[in-house]
Amino acid sequence: MILSSMQDVVFGYGEDPVIDRLSLDIEAGQFIGITGPNGAAKTTLLKLMLGLLRPWSGTVTINQELAVEGRLEIGYVPQQVAAFNAGFPSKVIELVRSGCYGRLGLFRRFTQEQEALVERCLRQVDMWEYRDRRIGELSGGQKQRICIARALAQQPQVLVLDEPATGMDLESRTGFYGLMRHYVSAHGRTVIMVTHGLEETSPYLDCIISLERKEREGWTCLVTNSCSAHFGPGA
Amino acid sequence: MFSYEFMQRAFWAGGLIGMIGPLLGVYLMLRRQVLMADTLSHVSLAGVALGTVLQLNPALSGFAVAVAGGIIIEQLRRSYRTYSELPVAIIMTSGLALAVVLMSLKQNLSKSFSSYLFGSIVAVSDTQLKLIALVAAAGLLYFIVLRRPLYSLTFDEETASISGVHTGLLSFSFAVLTGMTVAAAMPVVGVLLVSALIVLPASIALRIASGFTAAILIAVLTGLLGVFSGLTASYYINTPPGGTIALILLIFLLTAIGVQKLLRLKHRCSKYRRPLKQLEIHAKP
Repeated sequence: MILSSMQDVVFGYGEDPVIDRLSLDIEAGQFIGITGPNGAAKTTLLKLMLGLLRPWSGTVTINQELAVEGRLEIGYVPQQVAAFNAGFPSKVIELVRSGCYGRLGLFRRFTQEQEALVERCLRQVDMWEYRDRRIGELSGGQKQRICIARALAQQPQVLVLDEPATGMDLESRTGFYGLMRHYVSAHGRTVIMVTHGLEETSPYLDCIISLERKEREGWTCLVTNSCSAHFGPGA
Repeated sequence: MFSYEFMQRAFWAGGLIGMIGPLLGVYLMLRRQVLMADTLSHVSLAGVALGTVLQLNPALSGFAVAVAGGIIIEQLRRSYRTYSELPVAIIMTSGLALAVVLMSLKQNLSKSFSSYLFGSIVAVSDTQLKLIALVAAAGLLYFIVLRRPLYSLTFDEETASISGVHTGLLSFSFAVLTGMTVAAAMPVVGVLLVSALIVLPASIALRIASGFTAAILIAVLTGLLGVFSGLTASYYINTPPGGTIALILLIFLLTAIGVQKLLRLKHRCSKYRRPLKQLEIHAKP
């Protein structure tokens, strides 16, 4: 099933476009990697395909069968730990519980299932032992892991990860990619991940979108490879 | 002390502001908008001057202009995303300039303005007390009902927006509430010290709290304690209430920092202290 379809999309931030006439279909229920050099508009592409940015021209169609009230349920882990509010006076468990707020709304109380979900998410990223710590006391890699646990607790249809393994050691990275693979295969959810470490991640991915920069007629253009290139267990 | 009606009003007003100000302060500090309270108090002063010149109720005109200032700052914040402190500076200088010019238009204004600048117990009229009660009730309701989206917004605006939180609407309503609270707090602590009541209890809370809920509770309790002890002290030693409250809160902050440092040092010493002899042996190659 198609999750999002982009047709002849043009988008930029200044006068010139950074994405020029791009057409791409994103399948639901896949683990998708986006790769490319710095400044290749990976994050921009990510936001366009999820309908978070409005293109200058062209269309982005979100499958309405998967949308709730006209929009996709998205869990997002930002690019840098620097974006993380390190002085935020919150315990790890408070932050991960906040992932459930979207489903709880303003007033509904936490159920036992949700408490169990929070515990499961923290255990999946090996951070359960740190649940009562202040988030400011954690290392960069640990902060990244609790952000991922928070996004998992949202139980989103689409999990969007912008260079999520930054700051993690090799063992944590391998465990994390395995966890995402399981999340897609067992629950049928979609994971879209911006990554530079394609050698490490490609065994786990269903699809890779690689972006290249080309100078053409004075404009910066983007070229993507076919999204049908399959790797890993599903290949 | 409580036999005087104006002292009863002052304690009511102080208690209400001492509760809502620090609560707002925690969010303002975490959103890196700590100078917004100071800015809006200057803007509110311009509103008071405008009300006096136009022969309107100065408290109400100060209130309305502070709310408008909050909305303008929020709008400018979106235009200057890279220079987020710029809107605050623009509005602060504009507000102060407008206040000074308007004050010069009317004779004998300096006396009534001093109560707005430094805060005065007698400045709290029945109308102002009603306004403060209304703002405190609205603020409390706002923070209770929207505590979950506000937590997400304060943690990271981009993540909150992508996750479906209406960040634009929430930020605008937050700016309006900030304007309302600042304008309501002015008669109690004065324009110059209004941010002290909002910022100092939050500074203490963010330093010592172990979690978010704890930070909110510590900020509110510190605010209430600071206001009540400040009002009492100012009554008995005949000092300006705004300054007394701010100084007492500053003493609380310095004490909290000192006690926290001592506790950490004690903990470190008790956990890692070893006999000197043993250290010397280990130091040998």
